Amino acid sequence: MEEGRKSRTMENPNSETDTTTTTTTTTAAKKKKSNSSDKKRKRRSGFEFCEVCKLSHDQGHRHKYFPSHIKSLSTFLSRFHDNKISDIRFFLRNPSPLRSEHSSRNRFWCVFCETDIDELGSSFACSNAINHLASADHMKNLKHFLWKHGGKTDQVDNFTISEAEVAKWEKKCKSLEIEVVSSNKAASGPLVGPLNDIHNELNYGNVNSFENNNIDSVNLRISNGVMPLQYHTNEYQVSHSGFSKVANVSLFPEDVSSSLPVENYPGTNSKMLNGFTGNRTCQHSPMWNSGKCLADGYLSTYGVYQNERMVKGESSSQGLQSLTQITLAPERSGGNVHSGAPPPWFEAIGESQLNAQQKPVLSNKLGKSKKLNPKRVGAAWAERRKMEMEMEKRGELVKSECNANWLPNFGRVWQSGTRKESRKEFELEKKQKLLKVENQPEVPLKIQPYISKRMDKILLNLMIHL
Amino acid sequence: MSYVLNTLTKKREVDSIISDTIDKVLVLRFGRASDSVCLLLDDVLSKSAREVSNFTTVVLVGIDSEDVQVYINYFDITLIPSTIFFFNAHHMKMDSGTADHTKWVGAFHQKQDFIDVVEAIFGGAMKGKLIVNCPLPPERIPKYQLLYKDVEEESPLASASDICCLSK
Repeated sequence: MEEGRKSRTMENPNSETDTTTTTTTTTAAKKKKSNSSDKKRKRRSGFEFCEVCKLSHDQGHRHKYFPSHIKSLSTFLSRFHDNKISDIRFFLRNPSPLRSEHSSRNRFWCVFCETDIDELGSSFACSNAINHLASADHMKNLKHFLWKHGGKTDQVDNFTISEAEVAKWEKKCKSLEIEVVSSNKAASGPLVGPLNDIHNELNYGNVNSFENNNIDSVNLRISNGVMPLQYHTNEYQVSHSGFSKVANVSLFPEDVSSSLPVENYPGTNSKMLNGFTGNRTCQHSPMWNSGKCLADGYLSTYGVYQNERMVKGESSSQGLQSLTQITLAPERSGGNVHSGAPPPWFEAIGESQLNAQQKPVLSNKLGKSKKLNPKRVGAAWAERRKMEMEMEKRGELVKSECNANWLPNFGRVWQSGTRKESRKEFELEKKQKLLKVENQPEVPLKIQPYISKRMDKILLNLMIHL
Repeated sequence: MSYVLNTLTKKREVDSIISDTIDKVLVLRFGRASDSVCLLLDDVLSKSAREVSNFTTVVLVGIDSEDVQVYINYFDITLIPSTIFFFNAHHMKMDSGTADHTKWVGAFHQKQDFIDVVEAIFGGAMKGKLIVNCPLPPERIPKYQLLYKDVEEESPLASASDICCLSK
């Protein structure tokens, strides 16, 4: 190739030589590059899986610079950060005890180390997670991850916990422990004796199950019970209902009045809160310092199921986790479930409205399906046929006996051309076949003597002369 | 198996079913109820006919009747079972990598294969396509040899009255 180019330069000297030489060098360089990249590509023909984009790609190390990857990386990290890390940080600031029942549910999957971190042996919420995030191994894995996926190095701080913070946290834990122990000694009241040990754990600070912007967290409130059976069943119900949403945040008995940021919860709950403040003897302490509150007495917090009851009926006696009896609203004339009456929301809408609602909905649906794609195959034919059929049904149009020779448009196998032509061809073929059959009795040919042209001419001349 | 599905023997019936099936895929199976491969196909068809009944009608045509011979010639049916798809009286072709796009020759390996094929046909028809691609992988498409028509007519095995069965 290069030689050819050189010969060309011989033919076109002067100005073009420079350009051609430069082009030769660039092409040569390009060739080299392409060769090497080809080789590289050949080497790296395997596919890798990017956990961030959840895609297999064969782009190798280039993949982390692609904008799609950068985008998915940012969402990935922010998701992990917002969900898991922020919860852990929360517990870092406000340590709360972890009950053994909840610990099995508090698994934390660290995406950088790709391991689960259980909370099996821990006494405080997320303690294992906190320790993990502060560990050197995690730091190493985090850095490797960032290198592999091209994250910025300031992310390192976001996803680890420094030693100082861990130390602070441990101090807080210890102080909490001491507090609780002392408070337990001081506390009097309807503590069930044999269950003292377990309940000591329960009486620790009330931390709300904190899910950012998740209204379902409303459901995650445990009743802080004394009567063992009731407590457990209630909590089991409530916690099971709630845990489906919250994987890594444990439920804690909570301080209802002080703990709920109003914006997170629907109106009813805030009403309930307000209703309760009167009952509470504890101070309106800042959110998470509720260990003291409990020391003053037992304040029941109720799961959503009991919220309604609390709003309607009397509050329970302090401490006892007995179910409250509500004063039933005056019985509605309509009856109730047992009498088979329609539910109140049904009546409220009103039947006519329902019908009106249904009809447009139905007609919308029908409209959707009726307006079949007008571009679909055979749409015009279908419309025509539908009209015909309707008319036949009505009896207006007598069903014309389909032409016995009607054939659908069919693109035949050994035929090129449009489908209409195929039918014509077929008709032709049929005719030919018939003709073959018919034409067997042939007309006998007239046999004539052969007269050559010369003879013909001679004969003609003779005739003229004659 | 054929008691589940209609079997037609007259051209008039075939005509009427083609022209009366509106906005639904019409699956016309041409075959012989006693043939082994036909039996396989009929089994699959009858079991899945109900599931696709919202958008498909499945009909069997016996090729042994005289009346239907014109269709057998017209549709160039030389191997049985052959299945032809119609939508709104328009013939739908499917490219399954075989020589003949105008019909499906042979049985299906699974019910789901048949359902996939019919769904592909329906989808293509709704979009206005007269030919669709086959969604099945090549190993699940029965293979056959298609000889040129004249050759076939001459060969004793493939005369109109004695259509040979395909071998998979």
